[in-house]
Amino acid sequence: MDVTRRVFLRAGGLALCSFGLDPLFLNRAAYARRAPVIGRSGQPILICLFQRGAVDGLNMIVPHGDALYYRERPRIAVPRQAVVDLNGYFGFHPSLAALKPWWDNGSLGVMHAVGSPDGSRSHFDAQDYMETGTPGRKSTPDGWLNRYCSHQREHHETPFRSVAFGPELPRILSGRAPSLAIADLHAFGIRAGNRPASDKITRAFEAMYEGAQTGLLATSAQEGFEAVRMLKSVDPTRYSPENGADYPRSPLGRTLLQIAQLIKADLGLEIAFADVGGWDTHVNQGAGDGQLANRLRDLSQALVALATDLGERMADVVVLTMSEFGRTVRENGSAGTDHGHATAMLVLGGPVQGGKVLGRWPGLDPANRFEGRDLAVTTDFRDLFGEILDRHLGGTELSGVFPDHELSPARFPGVIKG
Amino acid sequence: MRFIWVLMVAGMAGEAAIPGSLTGQSMAVDTGSSSVLTPRDSALHVLNRLAYGPRPGEVERIAKAGVQDWIRTQLASDRPDDRALARAEPRYAILDMNPRELAARYVEEQRERKREKEKKETEDQPRMEGPPPEGRRLAGELQQLAVIRGTAADFQLREVMVDFWTNHFNVNLQKGLDRALVPAYIEHTIRPNSLGRFEDLLLATARSPAMLFYLDNAESVAPGAEPPSRRRFMRFPPPERKNQPKGINENYARELLELHTLGVDGGYTQQDVINVARILTGWGIARANQIGEFEFHDWAHDEGEKVVLDVRFPAGHGMDEGVRLLKLLANHPATMHHVSRKLCARFVSDEPPDGCVDDAVAAWERTHGEIRQVLLAIFQSPEFWAPAAKRSKIKTPLEFMLSAMRAIGAEPDTTPRVAQAIARLGQPLYLQASPAGYPESQDEWVNSGALLQRMNLAVALAGGSMPGTMVDLDRLTPVTPDYRRLLDAIDQTLFAGTMSPRTREAISNEVKDEVDPQRGRALAVGLALGSPEFQRQ
Repeated sequence: MDVTRRVFLRAGGLALCSFGLDPLFLNRAAYARRAPVIGRSGQPILICLFQRGAVDGLNMIVPHGDALYYRERPRIAVPRQAVVDLNGYFGFHPSLAALKPWWDNGSLGVMHAVGSPDGSRSHFDAQDYMETGTPGRKSTPDGWLNRYCSHQREHHETPFRSVAFGPELPRILSGRAPSLAIADLHAFGIRAGNRPASDKITRAFEAMYEGAQTGLLATSAQEGFEAVRMLKSVDPTRYSPENGADYPRSPLGRTLLQIAQLIKADLGLEIAFADVGGWDTHVNQGAGDGQLANRLRDLSQALVALATDLGERMADVVVLTMSEFGRTVRENGSAGTDHGHATAMLVLGGPVQGGKVLGRWPGLDPANRFEGRDLAVTTDFRDLFGEILDRHLGGTELSGVFPDHELSPARFPGVIKG
Repeated sequence: MRFIWVLMVAGMAGEAAIPGSLTGQSMAVDTGSSSVLTPRDSALHVLNRLAYGPRPGEVERIAKAGVQDWIRTQLASDRPDDRALARAEPRYAILDMNPRELAARYVEEQRERKREKEKKETEDQPRMEGPPPEGRRLAGELQQLAVIRGTAADFQLREVMVDFWTNHFNVNLQKGLDRALVPAYIEHTIRPNSLGRFEDLLLATARSPAMLFYLDNAESVAPGAEPPSRRRFMRFPPPERKNQPKGINENYARELLELHTLGVDGGYTQQDVINVARILTGWGIARANQIGEFEFHDWAHDEGEKVVLDVRFPAGHGMDEGVRLLKLLANHPATMHHVSRKLCARFVSDEPPDGCVDDAVAAWERTHGEIRQVLLAIFQSPEFWAPAAKRSKIKTPLEFMLSAMRAIGAEPDTTPRVAQAIARLGQPLYLQASPAGYPESQDEWVNSGALLQRMNLAVALAGGSMPGTMVDLDRLTPVTPDYRRLLDAIDQTLFAGTMSPRTREAISNEVKDEVDPQRGRALAVGLALGSPEFQRQ
């Protein structure tokens, strides 16, 4: 299936005019040894947070203006007086209250009734579809963010272009374009007890992989060592958040802190990705307080800390939350919600056309629900993602990113400022 | 059939001949060009491809005894029991559990978990994702068993083929009931059929509960079909299912054609997919008492007429037409080509030359898909022996870890630590979400983060600080203050004397001033395992 080798793509524009192996490798190797000149402000950055487990969009962004919402959820509806009203009809869950100032200044938007054209209610399948960007097609080998990087070569070559935080590369970033998976920024590199031993071993491996060696192993290793060197020069162990930002001591808080670090290090980061778990609230999910409220509080505190810490840099950053599907409109027998269809996503950052709930609201009327029970999808997630790639990251080679779906500005939900 | 010219040429192609190591039928293989593999090259090559790399002394042994003989013993159908395996396996409780037992455990565990959860909700703790502890323990055991077998087995080719087919017919341990079904899938569906006939293997996977659940065929019913009325006299009637399936599910049908048999360009249409799904309606999983076992549901089967690949399946048939279909698919020319090509990508080269694929297809046709014969054809093809094929493939994380342990005679213990290390390198066993399985090509495995991780693991393993392994470097080479002798020994054992000058120099530079020879040896071995040539096979 893969005709083009990744290394061609990595070699940038040159691959277009030459398909000989060695010149590209050599060119690439030469490139890797050049001092990185990447730090320029104005580099647009996308941070994706995947809420694995399917977040209840209806309790995150509450349609408190609809009596049906309260009728369908007698035990778990967020009380009207607790909702942080946004526009008279929708409101934030009270745990998101800390984000209200960003809504008010227009840098936080909400996309509601968004999701997949595929009706699967399997976490497994739906996550897969959202990451491959090909709903209904399971055999897609790579993720859409990786395809974006493969096709969109107008970017500084840096090992830090796309980084996933976690032990493995998630599906969304796997594929031919190089992506780093970093479990912990502070531990990235060769670790052998102490610093001198690590340096010694690093030196030996570098010598082995360098120079006369060509091919993927050599270029990847050089990229790795380049990344290690670049990281060392910014010393990730010493970092203090700015502007009094206070990251929660949760996995998400730690991850966003590291992302902020990477952004400020000016290492050429374009795409950061992280998972946030704990949204599969089948039982006792709670209303204004409780299980879901705690997860949302962690999310909003971490986002607030990030936005505060990055300060002016948020002008170049868009944070997007995503989740494989939403949950049932009606609460279930155990005061929770089961797997549904459409959900809500948050979009935060300077370039965001915020202060609005975007998308067409299908309403909660059973006649308008998906299969008579779930919130219908009125925005295909690919149109939302596509708009961000196009208008925020400035992508120009997007036709291959969502192979089954033609991106058209006419269908963009309007989440990025024009 | 093409024959291989086997002859001995020492000192050709720049390879160092080791006098005295070549006796009797030791031979090099002429590939028709001027380049020739020495017996040691050949031994290393087959150990890298048909096995998970050489153990200390193995290259010598096989070069001496004859590479072709070794291949024949790996392919023999009447092999004696694998004694190494027999010693290692009994420590695994999971081998003694039958699928019903596991499934029942799983169901009980889910109930227990639900009760726990309900109790805990008031305590307001964020919920943990992932399988519960018992499930995780069993999953770890299953993964580690693959590590043990791959490291210890003498019958290496079987372990390689079990891995190949498990990946070809991928399922996911993390998807619901599959947590309970995958152990039996590996033991009873894949392992016994891994070197038999492809048709039998395909049929076995088609009726395996793990596959039926993973690709949703168990949910696929003829439109309008209703299960028979609840059996009232049962003491515990099965509960009404929440989402009773209402029609066909194309998932398995599509992957069966696209991945398992014909291949994506195999010439089938969307209508074929639909009709395959209709033919396979009713292939399901028993619930209640027999949970975890295959069951054909008459009531769910679509009895209408279907046409697949221009072949008519007349109305009025039941499970038999599914068997007929699978046999048709198993030996369809597109399947032979697709699967042969995949085998060649595994054994010869990521982009396999047509020659070996044609040889494999010819053997398939001749033997009606005897996997042993197809493999033999590949191992006898000139492309397999071409000098260009040598070290042309990058090891997958599994291959890297297993070959590193074998190379230095390390032994994994029963904890799932090594399996976890392989997961950290990007290949968590039995947990690939995509039905396409893990990729074979180097593009997918080589990335900077993963490479650094491999180097770390190499150094930790050789230094004896990798958890879950027992290492005794004396098996590889005795401690010596002479770093040149040390490097020679490592070069011979790990690389059959083909270590690159660059790697040798880099290691020498770091170890020559090491005052503690014990430490120097560990460092040199670690660096060698992390070297570019050790990433290749």
